[in-house]
Amino acid sequence: MSQAPSRLKVMKLEELLRRDVWDVDEERHIEVLKQEGLPLKALQLLCPMGCYSMAGERLLMSYEGCVECGTCRVLSKPEQIRWEFPRSGRGIQYRYT
Amino acid sequence: MAKGGGLFNLSKFDVVVVGAGPSGSTAAYLLAKAGFKVLLLERGRGAGSKLLWGGKAYAEPLRKVWPELDKEAPIHRWVTKERISIVWGERALTLEYKLGRKVAFTSPLPELAGWMAKKAESAGALLLDEVPVDEIVVKEGRAVGVRSGNDFVSADVVIDAEGANRILLEKLGLADRPSPYDMALGVKEVLSLDPRLIEERFGLERDEGLSWLILGDITAGIPGGGFVYTMRETIGIGLVLNIGHAAVAAEKGILRDHVSRLVEGLRTHPYFRNYWREADVIEYGGRMTIEGGLRFVPKRLYSNGLLVVGDAAGMLVNTGYTIRGVDTAVTSARLAAEAIIEARDRGGFTEENLRAYEEKVRESYIYRDLVEHSGIAEIFDDPFFFSKVPSLATRAASKLFEADYGEPSLLEAIKRSAEEEEISLLRLMLKVGRVVRRI
Ligand SMILES: Cc1cc2nc3c(=O)[nH]c(=O)nc-3n(C[C@H](O)[C@H](O)[C@H](O)COP(=O)(O)OP(=O)(O)OC[C@H]3O[C@@H](n4cnc5c(N)ncnc54)[C@H](O)[C@@H]3O)c2cc1C
Ligand code: SF4
Repeated sequence: MSQAPSRLKVMKLEELLRRDVWDVDEERHIEVLKQEGLPLKALQLLCPMGCYSMAGERLLMSYEGCVECGTCRVLSKPEQIRWEFPRSGRGIQYRYT
Repeated sequence: MAKGGGLFNLSKFDVVVVGAGPSGSTAAYLLAKAGFKVLLLERGRGAGSKLLWGGKAYAEPLRKVWPELDKEAPIHRWVTKERISIVWGERALTLEYKLGRKVAFTSPLPELAGWMAKKAESAGALLLDEVPVDEIVVKEGRAVGVRSGNDFVSADVVIDAEGANRILLEKLGLADRPSPYDMALGVKEVLSLDPRLIEERFGLERDEGLSWLILGDITAGIPGGGFVYTMRETIGIGLVLNIGHAAVAAEKGILRDHVSRLVEGLRTHPYFRNYWREADVIEYGGRMTIEGGLRFVPKRLYSNGLLVVGDAAGMLVNTGYTIRGVDTAVTSARLAAEAIIEARDRGGFTEENLRAYEEKVRESYIYRDLVEHSGIAEIFDDPFFFSKVPSLATRAASKLFEADYGEPSLLEAIKRSAEEEEISLLRLMLKVGRVVRRI
């Protein structure tokens, strides 16, 4: 059996994120308001950009890599996560998708 | 770009369209062409910069709006081959169909939507990007314009073309926040590859493309599937997963890996990886789509001074094996534009006069398909199809093709595999029969 070329090694999410272009808004557009009742594992595994992570018991949300897909929005209630679009033109800049 | 209100507050438009996706640009194009003063607002930097899809659009509904489509649009490849694979571990079972004519084409959505927005501009619509609309303003039961920050612009008609993430419609109380079971998450990688290699590997001519759907354990048992689309010099690969089911799988510990790992699993899968072994990943991302069928369609697509088109109106047909959202978005916007033109000729954009839009939609192929495929949601709700059926099919194929001694018949292979999987053949036949009737 021949070895798969290095390009065919599984890439970590951080490596994949390096392929993308954002113009990050200085203002946070998504914020966890109330952690209680949120599906913590689902948010961590399903946010395609890995914006959700745990610091001990606390759910952290880093909005910088967000692609505004809305998945965390449909997995939460308005009182749990404040969800808005980034301001004018900011955020992900898709090119070839 | 509107800063500080000057431009916005000076002018009044006949029509304001929110969102320069396929539906918004279609409506803006047709209405500008019919002599309306149209403002097209887009939150992203340039039309298309927020869009990601699988990759193929059906051409005929688009030609109805732009007869010049084949010559002018950024068509990367005409789909001449359709493949469906069922994958289980290293095993795979594939069906390929060679099309007899040009029905659908591939293109990156940022590029295709960019072209549609340009058409709207060239017809005379004013496109302003980097303008996120915060609110559709309603006064005395009638939409009178839109607000972005401190800017307000008034219009006789507002068209909501904001897409599946329909925050404005929810704010108006015309739609609820959707159930996660009615939505799917698409996660995609774009691979860059020499066009000659694409053509050699997939057996394609220069302007020909392939559309490939994949079922099986690549979704880790979550209802959904995978896709591969060849563009001119890129290949789009990805997965579409039902969000409700995926969330339950994550919470229960059935799904342990991050979704990006599943897409990487597809890219590096022994059955697929040699098609693109030299390819670099040049982009990665996600976007949400609709799986709820009719459940996602708002109770009404019109009210006083307001029409809802495209994804925001649930005008997307998800059959379980293919997503048709762009041609349906364009068609619904065309019907909306027709209704608005007729309403003008009848003296006003009242609820009464705009109702024709909904009637047109009900008579169109979109509605027929939505009704026909609404049972698909039920199939999505049944994990049986996403775990048992693929493993059974590949097991049966392995009995057929990996027989060291003896030659089992197809029926024998299916029967024996069903026994091993502990599936009753009768139950299987009933279920498959039900799906086939729906599809
Ligand atoms: C993973 C995936 C795969 C798909 N594959 C296919 C496929 O192969 N074939 C197919 O036909 N369809 C496919 N679709 C569906 C298709 O992409 C959509 O149906 C189509 O894009 C809908 O067009 P639209 O104009 O209604 O909405 P959108 O394309 O979503 O456009 C909405 C626009 O409005 C803008 N906007 C939103 N809110 C605001 C606001 N408040 N203010 C200003 N602007 C705003 C957005 O930035 C966006 O540009 C797929 C979708 C996904 C997610
Ligand atoms: S909107 Fe999508 S990309 Fe952004 S944080 Fe939520 S899940 Fe992640």
